Amino acid sequence: MTDPTLTDAAATSAVESTRTDIRRLDPAAAAAHLRAAAEAGRGFLGLDPVTQNDVLLAAELTRMRAQVFRAGDKLLGSVPNPDQPRQAFVAATCADPEPLRILLGFLDTRQRCSSFVAMVPDGAPSAAAFESCGFRQVGVLRDHRYQAGAYQDVVVYHAESGFVASAHSEDPCSA
Amino acid sequence: MFGVTVRHFTQADIPVRTALLRESRFQANLTDFAVVAEDDALAAGQRRTIEQEHAVKRIFTLCGPNDQVLGFAWITSIDWRSQTCELSFGVLPQYRGGFGAIAVAAAHDYLRTELNMRVVINQVLEHNTMLHSAEALAAQQRVRCPYDSYTVGQWRTSYYWTTTEDDVRQHHERTETRRREIAERIRARRTV
Repeated sequence: MTDPTLTDAAATSAVESTRTDIRRLDPAAAAAHLRAAAEAGRGFLGLDPVTQNDVLLAAELTRMRAQVFRAGDKLLGSVPNPDQPRQAFVAATCADPEPLRILLGFLDTRQRCSSFVAMVPDGAPSAAAFESCGFRQVGVLRDHRYQAGAYQDVVVYHAESGFVASAHSEDPCSA
Repeated sequence: MFGVTVRHFTQADIPVRTALLRESRFQANLTDFAVVAEDDALAAGQRRTIEQEHAVKRIFTLCGPNDQVLGFAWITSIDWRSQTCELSFGVLPQYRGGFGAIAVAAAHDYLRTELNMRVVINQVLEHNTMLHSAEALAAQQRVRCPYDSYTVGQWRTSYYWTTTEDDVRQHHERTETRRREIAERIRARRTV
């Protein structure tokens, strides 16, 4: 499928860019992939497959107007900040920065996002991906999550689209 | 020692749990409402729990080492702010005995370590000694409630008690002490 805009979440269950392997998932498919991601899926966009069943995950993704993409077995996601429409919360399940760069490029060039925020559970592999993409740590939310019998910190990362854009030279989501 | 995993109850589990709801000992020991409900109604109720009742009721599937379904646990009377809930469970007939107590412990562990429940309310009908001996039930009960339930033609007395963080810690300490004592006895025999 060659839809370059990827703006209508209900239009199709999976949308594939012609120049990347990023595929858009509908909420039900996204929930299933989050569950399959096991530990890496915990804290993704604030969700947790261990404490939320697939129906609830899908409902939350829909409520947040989330976009979830799959790159191989990796997941990427974004949610618009309702208080700042040009800002997106983003998430990833892996340390590899390349799929994340593709997502950021798409959000920048196709959805006019000017800044990004990532809230990453302390110790999650995806922190490396955000740092590689130019995100800088701007704060730590102490004991923000409860998981495996303990409260855990969440690290807050921030990046501006111009800075992120310098990390990639092309628009990977164009048709 | 094998592990029991706790996962979310899914639509695929509905036929197995429906059959359990109709099983004779389940009906005597927990509730016999399934006698007067049709399959479609039972399935619809469970689907509703999966899809709509996350805030007030949740069902979990207890799985063995090969992912086989051992039984189900469900929580009701959930008070998220007070971090309390009531836990019920039903183990499939073929897994009662050896698996049952471990499955129940796994459910308690999940509620505590993932859902952050601090107090779990337990209820067992007085005649139900599948997982607790009559002596153990009498010893740990805090509330004895005659005429609590009417199942399979009889009024049943119910025992209620809570499991707190202190209870769990003390249980772990007792288990560890027992394990150490057994290990020391084995070592002592080897040296004789």
